[in-house]
Amino acid sequence: MTMLIVRRLLLTRWLMLLFVLIQWFFNGYVLLHAGQTELSYFTYDPAGVLFLGLLTLISTAAVIQGFPYFVSQLNKRFSYYYAALTGLIAAMTGAYMANDITLVWILVEATTLTASVLIYSERTLHALEATWKYIFICSVGIALAYMGILFLSLSMKGTGLHDLSFAGLTSVAHRLDPIYLKIAFLFVLTGYSTKMELFPMHTVGIDANSVALPPVGALISTGLVNLGFLSIFRVYKALSDSPIFVWMNKVLILAGVLSVLVAAGYMLKAKHTKRMLAYSTLENMGLVAIAIGIGGIGYYAAFLLLVLHALTKSSLFFQVGQMGRVLGTYKLDDSGLYLKLFPTGAIALLIGMLAILAIPPSGLFVSEYLILKALVAGKSWFVLILVLILLCCVIYALSTRVLHLLFSHPRENAGIHTQGTVGRWETISQFIFLMVVVGACFYQPPFLKDIINQIIAGLPNY
Amino acid sequence: MFYLLFVLFAGTLVYLSIAERFRSYAKLIAVQGFLLFAIALIELKTVNLASLIFVLAETLIFKAIVVPHFLFRIINQTKVYRVHPKAFPAFYSLLFTMAGLFMSIILSNMLKNPSLDAVFLTIALFTLFTGVLLIITHRRIFSHMVGFLVVENAVFFFSLAVGSEMPMLINIGILLDIFVSVLIIGVLMNRIGTQFSDLESDNLTSLKH
Repeated sequence: MTMLIVRRLLLTRWLMLLFVLIQWFFNGYVLLHAGQTELSYFTYDPAGVLFLGLLTLISTAAVIQGFPYFVSQLNKRFSYYYAALTGLIAAMTGAYMANDITLVWILVEATTLTASVLIYSERTLHALEATWKYIFICSVGIALAYMGILFLSLSMKGTGLHDLSFAGLTSVAHRLDPIYLKIAFLFVLTGYSTKMELFPMHTVGIDANSVALPPVGALISTGLVNLGFLSIFRVYKALSDSPIFVWMNKVLILAGVLSVLVAAGYMLKAKHTKRMLAYSTLENMGLVAIAIGIGGIGYYAAFLLLVLHALTKSSLFFQVGQMGRVLGTYKLDDSGLYLKLFPTGAIALLIGMLAILAIPPSGLFVSEYLILKALVAGKSWFVLILVLILLCCVIYALSTRVLHLLFSHPRENAGIHTQGTVGRWETISQFIFLMVVVGACFYQPPFLKDIINQIIAGLPNY
Repeated sequence: MFYLLFVLFAGTLVYLSIAERFRSYAKLIAVQGFLLFAIALIELKTVNLASLIFVLAETLIFKAIVVPHFLFRIINQTKVYRVHPKAFPAFYSLLFTMAGLFMSIILSNMLKNPSLDAVFLTIALFTLFTGVLLIITHRRIFSHMVGFLVVENAVFFFSLAVGSEMPMLINIGILLDIFVSVLIIGVLMNRIGTQFSDLESDNLTSLKH
């Protein structure tokens, strides 16, 4: 609210930094009180703690990286932007900690509201189109997720349970009607796939990312995607003791394979850098769904991939944002010679490309290797071969485009007209994140392994 | 009386599938709002009084009055009164709707639950199907919006079925109503109506590759 009232740019920036500081303090508080429940509806469980830590890191960088986009006091859009950004981060924080299915649903709906304001911040026709699609399809998705919650509650009638907490659902899952559980899971998966950027309702994220400011794209592709995943995973884990567990795994593998297929197909045609990164998010979320579906070491690989993907993808979005400021465009055909124009940023882009493609020494290589290992252990030969072929297409598509950006002349124009300059210091956060990702290839800290093991403990096949 | 309301509700869905004027859509959404108000009044006998009054007020105010008012305003502002000339023909739309009704009857028989009236489930599924059909087969944004409102009514219908034991679920459904009616219709459709006078969804296809 304060951001909407305050109309002075400098004061708004300081307030945002204060908000980020409060976010860090809250993160510390959650770490110190891990495992506790507060206000009955919020539990600081390992999954919430992990994703909150990631969100705090990325949102700090996103807030600072967003400052250059609003430099004029005359343009009043900054108050809406910062108010919505605050709301989005707060809603995601609450949703990570929520222990009740209905509260998660409410907070996910709040993220739709706030994200739509952020997507529309440029007020162009493209922004209007993307915002309309985002709100409409997310609302349909949210309504479907709500149908899933209703089917869950219907199946729980007669069990004596009157709340929809995940713990309560876990305790009665084995007694519930499998048909209702299957329908509920399908609705929940379809509904929250809008947020997770997973097939079938992945299109919202693609359009939103291609239009939104890069710091917003970074938050949508990491924090919001992780939220969508966590919403689905919590229902999956709650129903893991039910008769539909094997069926849920098959559905997740199918959704994952289709996501990777769609991502590979569209990435081969991509002509817009931010859109290309959005398809990359779709591909990675497809791999996460496959990893969860296959089980075993796949559970660990899924969470490792989520953590490292968040750090890598946010760096890439920040860097692409800076590239857009230097070149004045996000269109691949009009871009080129980036290494010559801004060498520091180009190196960050190159390392980011290697990292997201899981080429060693990227930490994503470890996670994707473990996923493939899980597929071999599960004897899913068809899925393994298909995923390998599709990953080859993704590597080809992304690497040719990024290398063109770095080394080649633009295809369309005769030459590059540099639009602006970017300070080298603005790339610091990207290099820090990318160094963590590269370091994870050789060494994964014990606290990370512990927290992931705590999240996946109790799952069958683990 | 109860089943009469269900039959009337199903009748509005059939009419929606063949209507071609946007004013008819808006009027049918208002009628559905009133019918849902009546159904909620009869069904939610066991919830506490405060929740009941809240649900009834929301159903009457938002679904029956505010949302149709917004729809009429958009029609008057954009001066787009009919579905797209190349829209899915009404006859085939009716056939698909009838198929949806039969599928809903079959599905609700398969999903028999002693604590849920089969007619309730049938109408909820039929409403969901009709809403999705409207979204898929029409080309104007206004029709998509109406389709979504019908999907929302399906969700609300279903929430009434479980509402007696978990009244908070109905309140959450109401939250969805408020979100949709205020944000999507009130704000966004105004903006789109200003930019694109014919409300064709083809105008919103420039984001590619």
